[in-house]
Amino acid sequence: MHISDGVLSPQVWVSGYVVTAALTAYVLTRKTDIAELPKVSIVTAALFVASLIRIPLGPTSVHLILNGLAGITLGLSAFPAVLVALILQALLFQHGGISTIGINAVILGLPALAAYGLFAAGTRIGIRGRYAIFGGLAGGTAIALGVLFFSLCLLTTGEHLEDVIPFVVVAHLPVIAIETIVLGALAQFVARVSPQALRGFRPR
Amino acid sequence: MRWILFAVLLVFVLPLGLSATAFAHGVELEYRTGVIIEIFAAYDTGEPMSGAEIRVFAPDDPSTPWLTGACDENGRFSFMPDLSLPGMWSVQVRHMGHGGWIHIPVGDNMVRAGGTGYTPLQLGLMAGLGVWGFIGTALFFWKRRGA
Repeated sequence: MHISDGVLSPQVWVSGYVVTAALTAYVLTRKTDIAELPKVSIVTAALFVASLIRIPLGPTSVHLILNGLAGITLGLSAFPAVLVALILQALLFQHGGISTIGINAVILGLPALAAYGLFAAGTRIGIRGRYAIFGGLAGGTAIALGVLFFSLCLLTTGEHLEDVIPFVVVAHLPVIAIETIVLGALAQFVARVSPQALRGFRPR
Repeated sequence: MRWILFAVLLVFVLPLGLSATAFAHGVELEYRTGVIIEIFAAYDTGEPMSGAEIRVFAPDDPSTPWLTGACDENGRFSFMPDLSLPGMWSVQVRHMGHGGWIHIPVGDNMVRAGGTGYTPLQLGLMAGLGVWGFIGTALFFWKRRGA
């Protein structure tokens, strides 16, 4: 879900930079706990390499995106983490373009924030297995929202790219399933062994 | 008698004239030499970009496509550049929001082949260095936290 250079109109990718700059500035100007920075760095490393690790799936292959993981572990800091990972992916591997770093950060970063909100709100409900349930939901929702934003961006081009949207959706269904399962299991495990690593965790 | 002679002329000579006109449809053959540039577009996984949209830009007008087309199912597209426009030709490949550019010199300094990809070793090295940077950052702040 990386949009390349030359696909979007200048209005769209400039808007992407404006939204990304505003959100990043908001997150970075908040009081950041220095104790959180090692975790931010490690999760950013996971986001950075996720797109390089292909999982063969039938005739094609998929790669994890892990923006939901960033959301449930980093909270608001997930947005700059996604941004840094995207900058390195674009500069080193040409995944996505330079002009589209801003809009790509919006496409993947906003769903990460939504995943954080969903996980934080859901885990307040005192049901059994809530970390697995809402961790999984956060993981799947982050990808699904990413696909939605990606598709909306393609629609703005006015070049009949709507024909490719069904392919994009179908290609990401396995990713939604995998990240739902992986994040559900991971959230349940981390809640047991190191609950402070999860955003939204509240000791009972 | 004169009318008969005229009729005979009409019957025999007119078809000759018609066929002479038909024989005059000769064939003119021309030839020109050129180069064919073949593009192969694939994702870095090796999967061909089947059906990807192609835009070719000539050196004299980088904003208006000189040629548009699409890759075949194997991710290949061929075109013959106009050799009277030497310089750097640019080809844009787009597929489902993904895409890239390749710049091809045409003219005296043409090269037989070129590409934009990295080898798996280069990719692995760059990924490793990137991850090491993040781990180093994490260790730095871990140490400061512990101090």
